[in-house]
Amino acid sequence: MPFYRCLIPPDSLSYEQRREIAVAFTDVHCGISAAPRSFVQVVFLEVSGSGEIADSHGSGAMRYDTPYFIAGGNRAGRHPQVKRRILDGLLEKFSEIAGVPASAVSGRISEAPASWTMEAGRILPEPGEESAEWHARAAPAA
Amino acid sequence: MIDFECTVQEGCVGERLRPRLAQAIEAACSEVLGAESGPVSVSWVEARKGFGFRGGEPSTTSLVRGRIPDGCSRETRGRLLHALERSWRRITGAAADEVIVSARDRGWTG
Repeated sequence: MPFYRCLIPPDSLSYEQRREIAVAFTDVHCGISAAPRSFVQVVFLEVSGSGEIADSHGSGAMRYDTPYFIAGGNRAGRHPQVKRRILDGLLEKFSEIAGVPASAVSGRISEAPASWTMEAGRILPEPGEESAEWHARAAPAA
Repeated sequence: MIDFECTVQEGCVGERLRPRLAQAIEAACSEVLGAESGPVSVSWVEARKGFGFRGGEPSTTSLVRGRIPDGCSRETRGRLLHALERSWRRITGAAADEVIVSARDRGWTG
């Protein structure tokens, strides 16, 4: 379910930087939540200037006016402070690895109920309701 | 009105398959939600090779995310998700862990 779309200027990040950011996002997300690492999806989309992108977990659009933007989507039900910690962690890691000032990166995370998503052939459990069996069945990263 | 945005990884779901996948999405929505739920539109986003990751590794996963009319029961939504997942895997040959399907209420603000 964790789905992070990184909007970046064309040719701004190397493959190694993108991969390092994807690993860092996985570390941040899984260090705070109970999600299996293999569930963290990170996609980089090259865009120019400011604009908006459709919300992956809500009905509207996310507007951005920084060169780099993280459009996140997670399971609903986490405490707002937890959600804030995840976003802060992502922003910090992105800025550090991309080598850009913090002011050049912004982001937002929207949420949707877990039961609205099927992953690896199963409806997702709500945060905090993940069983040991569910973790065991979670697919390895690929 | 129903709309789906499919994010696929370059080289994993060829353009040749996309019309069939769009038809399958429309058929699943019509079968489970009823034809009166409105027209179905399907759009595509392709992550270039080296631009999509899962668990920090290059990804082969497709994300099929849709918006459907509000008020769907849990049971009906579950049937829709299963129908979409089955169709996607049958057409693409993807493994179960290579497709994520979701259907959220149109009125859900996120």
